[in-house]
Amino acid sequence: MNLRKNLKNGILILVASLVLTACATQKKSTSQINGDVYTGKDTVEYLASGVADRVFFGTNETVLTTASRDTLRKQAAYLRKNSKINVVLEGHADERGTREYNLALGERRANSAKDYLMTYGISSDRISVLSYGKERPVDSGSNPLSWSKNRRSVTVKAN
Amino acid sequence: MNRNISISFGLHILLVIITAMSLPFLSKKPINLPPIVSVELIQISDQTSIPFAPKAKKIIEKIKEKEKKLVSEQAPPKIVKKEKPDVVPLPDEKIDKVKKIKDEKQNPEKIDNEVKQVSEFEKDNLFDPSNIAALIDKSKIESAETEKKTDKVTQDQDKSVDFSGLSLSEEDALKAQIFGCWSIPLGLPYNEDLLVRIKLQLKPDGSIMKSEILDHARMNRPGQGFYKVLAESALRAIKLCQPLRVPSTGYERWKDLQLNFDAREMLEG
Amino acid sequence: MLFRYLLLLILLPIKSFALIEVDITRGNLSPLPLAVSPLSIDEKSKEGFKKILQKENIGSEISAIIENNLKQSGLFNPLNKDAFLQKPEIANLKPRFEDWNLIKAQALITGKVNLVDDKLRVEFRLWDVLAGKEMMALAFTTVPSNWRRVGHIITDKVYERLTGEKGYFDTRIIYVAEEGSKINRIKKLAIMDQDGFNNKFLTLGNELVLTPRFSPTNQMVTYLSYFKNLPRVYLLDIETGMQEVVGDFPGMTFAPRFSPDGKKIIMSFAKDGNSDIYTMDLENRIVERVTNHSSIDTSPSYSPDGKYITFNSDRSGYQQIYVMNSNGKNVKRISFGNGLYGTPVWSPRGDLIAFTKLHKGKFYIGVMRTDGTGERLLTENFYQEAPSWSPNGRVLIFYRETKTNAKGEGFSAKLWSIDLTGYNEKLVETETDASDPSWSSLLSN
Repeated sequence: MNLRKNLKNGILILVASLVLTACATQKKSTSQINGDVYTGKDTVEYLASGVADRVFFGTNETVLTTASRDTLRKQAAYLRKNSKINVVLEGHADERGTREYNLALGERRANSAKDYLMTYGISSDRISVLSYGKERPVDSGSNPLSWSKNRRSVTVKAN
Repeated sequence: MNRNISISFGLHILLVIITAMSLPFLSKKPINLPPIVSVELIQISDQTSIPFAPKAKKIIEKIKEKEKKLVSEQAPPKIVKKEKPDVVPLPDEKIDKVKKIKDEKQNPEKIDNEVKQVSEFEKDNLFDPSNIAALIDKSKIESAETEKKTDKVTQDQDKSVDFSGLSLSEEDALKAQIFGCWSIPLGLPYNEDLLVRIKLQLKPDGSIMKSEILDHARMNRPGQGFYKVLAESALRAIKLCQPLRVPSTGYERWKDLQLNFDAREMLEG
Repeated sequence: MLFRYLLLLILLPIKSFALIEVDITRGNLSPLPLAVSPLSIDEKSKEGFKKILQKENIGSEISAIIENNLKQSGLFNPLNKDAFLQKPEIANLKPRFEDWNLIKAQALITGKVNLVDDKLRVEFRLWDVLAGKEMMALAFTTVPSNWRRVGHIITDKVYERLTGEKGYFDTRIIYVAEEGSKINRIKKLAIMDQDGFNNKFLTLGNELVLTPRFSPTNQMVTYLSYFKNLPRVYLLDIETGMQEVVGDFPGMTFAPRFSPDGKKIIMSFAKDGNSDIYTMDLENRIVERVTNHSSIDTSPSYSPDGKYITFNSDRSGYQQIYVMNSNGKNVKRISFGNGLYGTPVWSPRGDLIAFTKLHKGKFYIGVMRTDGTGERLLTENFYQEAPSWSPNGRVLIFYRETKTNAKGEGFSAKLWSIDLTGYNEKLVETETDASDPSWSSLLSN
C-alpha cells in the first residue's frame, strides 16, 4: 500500500519536473522555420481537404524540400483525380533582394514546383507559371519569420 | 510516513539544484576593468602655427564698417579643420604631381541619325562669339598697370639669393591668408590633376600688379573644362585676399610670387 | 674685359631665380556663394503674363527656379535676397560689384523678362563679382507655358559655366507612384520635372507596373506591366498615352531598357525557370538572344557607346555584376567584393557603373570602374536599391523603403538622390510614395 503510494507520488513529481524542463526548451518544438524554410500552417490555404496550396523556400533558394515534395505529390494526386482543372503556379520572393532579380527568382521557384508536378503525370498544358517577385507578399513584417512566409510558390486554380 | 517525507524532500532538493544550475544570473561573470588610458601633455612649440584666415576676415570687417550699410548676417567662410600635421614643403622637396594613367573611357558619341526634336527655343547670344577668343587671351595676363621695364643689370645687395625666399613664418602667414580666401569649387572631379599655378607680380603693399595662369592652354582643351573652373576659383581667391600679407621688407625677394593651387588634398580626403 | 662679361653671365641667371613658389593646398569646401537677383520685368509684360499664366511676377518665379536648382545641387549657396542692395532692373544693366561683394557673393545672376508677340523672352547674365566682369549672357524665346523650363535651362548654362560640367536641371524623372498596404500595393507610372513639379500619372493603377525607363529621345517609356495578369514589357508614348506590348514572347519579359540609339529594347525573358537577356529591334521586330546560360541573367545596361552591356547574373552561385560585348561574347565578371550585387547601371560618362549591394543584411548604393576596380559605397540603409544616373553622370537617384517596426507598420517608399562624391544625400519630394526612378536625358539640346 505504501509502495504504491510512493510510486504514484514519485511519478507525479517526475512528471512535474519533466513539465518544467519541457518549458525551457519550448521554442524548438513549436518552431515554424526549419533551416530557413517556413514549415508552419499560417497563411496556408487548401485546394481540397489535406491538400495544401503552397510550398516554401529558403533565402535565395529554388530547390524543393522534402516537405515541399510531399505537398506537391498530394497536389498532383488531386489534379489527377480532377483532370479538368488547370492551375497557375505563382512564384514569390521576400523583400530582401533587388526587384528584377526577385522576379526571376519567383519564376524559377514556380518552375521547380511545375517540374515536380509534371514528374507525377500532370501535363504541362494544364500548368502555367507566373512570377510576382516581391510585389505580393502575404506578410508585411520585416523579420525572418515573415520573410520565410513570403518565399513561396502557390498553386491557384485557373478554372 | 517519515520515509515518504524524506524521499519527497530529497526529490524537491534535487529539483531546486537542477533549477539553480540552469539559472543564468546566478553564475558569476568576470568583471571587466576598462583599460587604463594614459594622458600625455603635449608641449606647444614656439614655431608659428597657421591661424585660419584672420586677415581675410579683418578685411571684410573693415569694409563693412567703412560703408556702414545694413547687411544681413552671412555665415563666415567655413573653416575646415584637418587632422594632418602642418607640412611646409621646401622648394627642393617638392613632389612631382604624376598624372594618373586614365582608364579606357567610353566616348559617348553624338547621335546624329535621331529624329531631332524641334527646338522650342530660339537662342540668341548677347556675346559676340568672335570676341571670346580675344577674351581668352586677355585673361591669360591681367595687368592693372603697365610695368616699367628696366634693362639695367644692377649689382644688387640681394645678389646672394637664398632659394627659399620667404622665411617659414612668412610663408605660413601668406598660406593661412589664402587658405581662407579660396573657395574650392565642390564640383571638381576628385580623380583628376587639380593643380593650377598662378604667377604674380606684386606691388610693395601686397596688391597684385600682374597675374598669369601657367599652363594656360589647358583651359580650352576638351574634357578639361574643370581646369578653367579651378583656375577661376584661384584667381578669385587672390582677388579676395588683396592686399596679400607680405613681409614689410625685402620687396625684391618676394615681388615675383608663384602660387600653386592644388585642390587634390581637400577633395580626396 | 673678359672677366666683366663672365661676371655678368654668372650674375644674370642668379638674379632671374628670384621667383618664390608657395603651395596652396587648402581652402574652404563650402558651396559657392552667389546671388540670384529676381529677373526684372516691365509693367506691361507683367500684366500680360498675369493674364496668361496666372502668376503675379513671372520674373521672380523664374529666378526662384534657378535659385532652388542651384541650392539643391549642393554646390552653390544662393544668398538671402533681403540683403540685395540693387534693384533687379538696375542690376541687370550694370551691377555695382562692390554692393554684391559686400554680401560676399562671388557670382551674380541677373536678367529680364519680356512679353514679345505673345512669346516669353528671357534674357540673363552671369557676372563674376570679384573680377567685375560679365561671364555669360544669353536670351531665350519660347511659348509662355514653357516658363519653368526656361528656369531649368538657365540653371544648366550657369552650372556648366561655373563647374565645367554639363547640367542636369532641364530633365524629367519617371517613376512608379505607390499607394496602399504593403500586401496590396497600387502602382502607377508617373512622370515629373526633376524638381518635383508638373507631376502626371501615366497609368491608372489597375494593373501592376514596374521598372520604367526613358528612351534616349525622352518621348517613349518602356516598362513592365501585369496587364491581364501577364507580365510583359510594354512601350508607352508619353504624348499620346498609347501602349503596346513589345514582341510576342511565350513567357514573362521584364527589366527592359532602351539601347543608346533608341532602336532596340533590351530585356530579360524567363522560360522554364531560366531568365536570359534578349534584344528586339523596334523597327523590324527581329529578336536576338544575347545570353545563353542556365543562370538568371537580368538588369542589363548598355554602355553609352552601345558597345558593351553590363548585367546581373547568378551564374557564379550568387548575384554578381558582369560585362560583355553587346553581341553577348566575352562575358567577364567585375564584382568581387563581399555580398550580393545587383542593378548595374552604366554612367552616361562611360567611366563608372553604379550598383546595389546587399551585405550582412544592409543595402548599399555604390559605384565601381567598368573593370570592377575602385569600388566605392556611397550610402547604406536597411533597404534601398536601383540607382539611376543624371545625364551628366554626377548624381544618382534611387529609392528607399522604411518601416517603423518589425511588424512592417509605417511602411513607406521614397526617392532619394546623392552626389557621386557621397555628399548631398537628400530626399526627392513626391506626392505619393515612389520607387523605381529613372532619369531622362537633357530635354533641350
